This record gives sequence, C-alpha cells and structure tokens, in this order.
Amino acid sequence: MNTYHLAPSLSPSPRILIIEDDVELCTHLSNHLSRRGFALNSAHCGGQGLDLALQAPVELILLDIMLPSESGLNILARLRQERGTPVILMSALGAEQDRITGFSQGADDYLPKPFSLAELDVRIDALLRRVAIDCGTRAPSMPSRHSALAFDAQARDVSFDGRAAGLTSSEFRLLCTLHEHAGEALTKAFLYQHVLHRPYTRLDRGLDVHVCNLRRKLAAIEVQGIRIDAVRHQGYVLLCDGA
Amino acid sequence: MQRRHPLLWKMALLQVCACLLLVWLVWSWGLRVERNTYFLEASDRIALAAYAAEAEHVAATGDAAAVERWRLALQQREHTWVAVLDDYLQSLGTTPLSAEQVSHLTFMRKLSWPMSKRLEDELPYVSMAFPEHPERGRLVMQLPERLLPPGLTPWTHVFTHGLVPALLALALGLVLYRHLVQPLNELRERANALSAGDLAPLASSSVTRRPDELGELARAYEHMAERLRQSLNQQRQLLRTLSHEIRTPLARLKIASDSGLPPEQLQQRLSREVEEMRRLVDDSLNLAWLDTEKPRLEAEAVVVASVWEALVQDAHFETGWPLEALVCELDSTCQVHVHLNSFAQAVENILRNAIRHSPPNGVIRLSGQREGDRWWLVIEDQGPGVAEGDLQRIFEAYLRLDGTVGTGFGLGLSIARRAIELQGGELWATQGASGLRMNLRLPTANV
Repeated sequence: MNTYHLAPSLSPSPRILIIEDDVELCTHLSNHLSRRGFALNSAHCGGQGLDLALQAPVELILLDIMLPSESGLNILARLRQERGTPVILMSALGAEQDRITGFSQGADDYLPKPFSLAELDVRIDALLRRVAIDCGTRAPSMPSRHSALAFDAQARDVSFDGRAAGLTSSEFRLLCTLHEHAGEALTKAFLYQHVLHRPYTRLDRGLDVHVCNLRRKLAAIEVQGIRIDAVRHQGYVLLCDGA
Repeated sequence: MQRRHPLLWKMALLQVCACLLLVWLVWSWGLRVERNTYFLEASDRIALAAYAAEAEHVAATGDAAAVERWRLALQQREHTWVAVLDDYLQSLGTTPLSAEQVSHLTFMRKLSWPMSKRLEDELPYVSMAFPEHPERGRLVMQLPERLLPPGLTPWTHVFTHGLVPALLALALGLVLYRHLVQPLNELRERANALSAGDLAPLASSSVTRRPDELGELARAYEHMAERLRQSLNQQRQLLRTLSHEIRTPLARLKIASDSGLPPEQLQQRLSREVEEMRRLVDDSLNLAWLDTEKPRLEAEAVVVASVWEALVQDAHFETGWPLEALVCELDSTCQVHVHLNSFAQAVENILRNAIRHSPPNGVIRLSGQREGDRWWLVIEDQGPGVAEGDLQRIFEAYLRLDGTVGTGFGLGLSIARRAIELQGGELWATQGASGLRMNLRLPTANV
C-alpha cells in the first residue's frame, strides 16, 4: 500500500468530477473514490461535464477522451480557457508515449485504459499533492534535516566534504525531493509530476535513469550514509543511515 | 534524385530511325521502282536487236537501194521512222537525212536505257549499233508506240508512296505498343490479381528487370505489393495471435469464474490474466505505431550503464534473478545519442528474452566498444542460442520459434529492432560463444 497519504492541509474532502460516458465504469469509479473520502460528481457527456466544472469548482477532473458527441480533448481545451483545474485524461486509445504527449497538452496526467484502481489512486494522490505543493501549501524547502550533504540551491548542486557532485537541475530536484521525504517511499507518478513535470507512462524510463545517474554521481564523491533504493511496484526511497 | 530518362532516349532513337527509314524509302527505293518501270521489256529488246542485225545484214551487201527498201518496209510495219546510218551518221539508204532528223540524232538512247515521252512529249529515238561490226554503222529508229514502257502507274505510286510508308508507320506503332503498353498490361494484371487477393510474389517478370522508367514503375509497384503482403501477413498473424492469446486467458477466466474459487484467488487470477491481455494489446499497438507512423524520436545523450542498471533492477524484482548475474562491463563514458525510452525498451526486451532463455546459473553480459562515432554494444547470454538460419527470423513479429517455452508473444525483438532502426541504429543477432549474442550499433553522444 501507499506509504504516504494526502497532505493534511488539503480540505477534508477534495471534490472530483468524473466525465465518462460508460455508465458502469463511472459508477465503479464514483463508488471507489467516495469510499476513499472524496466528494464525487459525474457527467456522461462532455457539454454537461464542462458546465459542471465551470459552475462548481472542483479540485480534480477525470476526463475520458472518447466521448459521444464531443471529444474529451475539445472539452479540455475549452476548460483551459477558463480554469486551470488539474485534469487526468483517461483513454482506451493507443498508449504510445509520443501520442500521449500530444494528447496531454493541457492535461496534467494520462491514464491509459485499462488501469487498476490502485494505479488511479496513486495518480490522483500524486497530482493533488503536486498541486498542493505548487500552490504553496507546502513549499519546496531546502532539506532542513541534519545531513553531511551540503545543498547549494544557487548552483543547483550538492557537495560532500567540499567535493561537488556536478548534478543536472533535474537530478538536483530529484535529490531534494527524495531527501526532503527521506525514509518515505515516493511513487513514480508523484516523482514524474513533481520532479520531471510530466505524466508518468509505462514505458518512460527517464526517472529510473536519473536515479541511476544520481547514485553514480553521489558514489563518485564518496557520499556515505545515503542510499536511494527502488521500492518494488512503487517508486524510490532515500534512506539516511543513522538519521 | 538524378534521372537519366532512358525511355526518352529510347523513344527518340526509335523515332529518328523510323523517320530516316521513311525518307530513304521514298527517296531512294521509290525512285528506283519508278525508274524500273521505264525500261523496255526483254522480248522487245531482243526484237529490236534483231532489226539491227537484219539492218547490218542488208547494209553489208552495199546496195543502197536495198537498204532503202528494207528501211521503208520496217517503217511501214512499225508505223515509225527508221534510218540505217554509217559510222559518220550518214544515211546508208538513198534518202539523205533532213536537218530535223539530224537533230534527233543528238538525243538518241541505247536499248538498255529507260524510255519515256517525258522530255519533249515525243517518242524517244533508239540507236542500235550493228551487232557484229559496231564500227560500220547503226540502226536508228523512233521507238514504236506499242513498245513504249507504261511508266509509273497510279497503283504503283500508291504502293510505293502510300502503302509502304503506312506499313512502316504501323510497324513503328506496334513496336511502341509492345514496348510501352505491354508492360503496363502486365502491371494491370498484377494489380487485378492483387486486388483479387492473390498475394503470391511475382515469380519472374521481365518488366521489373528493365533499366528504364517502366522498370522503375514495376519495381516500385512490386515494392508496394511486397509491403502490402507483409502488412497483410502481419495482420493475419496478429489476428491469429490475438484470437489465441486473448481467448486462452478468457477461457481460463471463464473456467475460474465458474469453478467457485475463493474471492482472493479469483481476484489474483483475474488481475494476472488482464495484465497479460493488456500487455499484448499494448505491444501490438506499439509495433503498429513504430511500423506505420515512423515517429521522429527525440534523441538525447544517454548513459548506457544507467539504463542497464535501471532495467536490471526491474528484472531482478520481477524474475528474482540475482543482480550479480546481470553484468555490465561499461562505465559511464559509454554514452549514446538515442531516444531514451525506446532505447530502454529495446534493451529491456533483449534482456527479458535473454533471461527467459538462460539456464538457472547463467550470466548475461553487456559489453561494448567504440568504433569511431558509433558504439557497438553486445548483450550475450548463456542460453541454448538460436540456429544460424533463425538468426534473422527471430525479429519477425508474432513469431515464436518452435519448441520455445515462455510467455512472450514474439513482439519484443520486433519492437526493439524497429525502435533502434528509427534512430539510425542497427540491431542484429549472431551466435555467441555460449549462447545468443545481440549486437547494437548506435551513434555516440557528443561528449
């Protein structure tokens, strides 16, 4: 199960709007998310959904791409003219990486059907958490924990015993995020959202390679007592010995 | 592209040849045919020569009166003018020549010359030397009307200047047709066969071997047909695979749901089967996407060792393979210029294949060497390897070699190869020291 939960500073029941033409799927999703404590609203066609989204602001929208009368992408474009509400696109179309990039212009995440409810939960949590951080609810701060690793926000690099690691800015953001949540497994969905600013897809290896590069660079300056481990089926965790 | 237009030159040469032939025909051959019609018949020539011999015989007697008598008799018989002359062109008869008659003697023809009334619209004068003693004199006579050659008849004219050029043009047309339209007909028949569903490759066609534009067309057509054949085959394979690979888990699910399993077990099985079906659909779509849309993949500098490390970690989680058995001999200086995700996917597919076919204590090794501006990477396993003849076939989609156990759909290597080739790289298989060796050649990153 997830080792982290929604940030406590969020309103007790974030509102989610589901726009999905398949009634059965819509009901399943609603029931599941209600059980997780969200306030649910749903629409089965695009126009109606858009009206709902514009009238009563929500924290998150789950939007299907294949809608009966109007494409979900059109709905998204029209929504974006008015609101910046986070949107997760759901689609049964081909899940190729680059097509998704095109689709998700304006979308915050993308879930290819079929997806599992666990995956949906992870994505929703990651997105809400990122939005919370972006809104300043929980500003990204320099790691405050006691650490032998020296973070240099100006140069966007870290050093150990006076030796700089030579990180790229993505690697630096990744290390900051992991270090800030040391000991806590962060999901790949969240790390993609927060560090690489793009939705996570199955074939994306960007994060894994960044982690490997980071490990290599930390090893090169002989950093002791800090380890980045992969957590099966979830993501990564930074472990500090004796911290 | 540089085009030589061989067909243009061929057509031009043919036309020039036909034109020259036509001109020659009309000019030289037509004229000769016409001239030939102005010669005397052989029998007439013999008859006239006989008169000359007779005249010599009469003249030999030296009797001018007899010559005169013979001359007049011949004049009467042939209704023409006749004179028997000595070698000074003086009459051997009793009648001397008038001034007008003397003037005719300057326009005399020999028997073998063409005759016509064309010059002065009068019958020509024929001069025949005495056959035995030509120096003693000659017989001169105006050609009798009945012996005059008919000359060029309108029909002959039509034949030489109408019919034969027309036949020549027809022949040219036939040659052009054979050369241009016959191949098109052949192509049309191929197209019809193709649309009727006959996908057999063309056994032998002379058209495709032609070095000109039509040959190019035929080759382009064959290439298209080949692509069509491939994609149709792939589609059939896809349907076969889908129907088998999706129906099998569906059948298992159906049985599981009917057999009243406990909920946890049922759910476990359900998610496993669904995951398998999803993977098949994803891979099929991915292959079709790479194959048909030829996407432009953004390349970046990628540290091969990092990709390997990330993949090895996943493989270790999923298959339980010890990390020590997945060896990387490269350090971080090995950087290639590729699209990260498709490169990673290709290597992942190769790695999974290697793991699937390796013995329990096998080692999978990634090594490489730099060759100028390319990196040559080698992934070698210690599995049973692949027969020499199958080294190429393993990259075909939906193909599983006979006797291979495993859960793959035969898509991994196809996707890997497509993705690598789209980035200007190469992927091929060779037989390794102890197992299969996968070779990758990729551009190095500029570092």
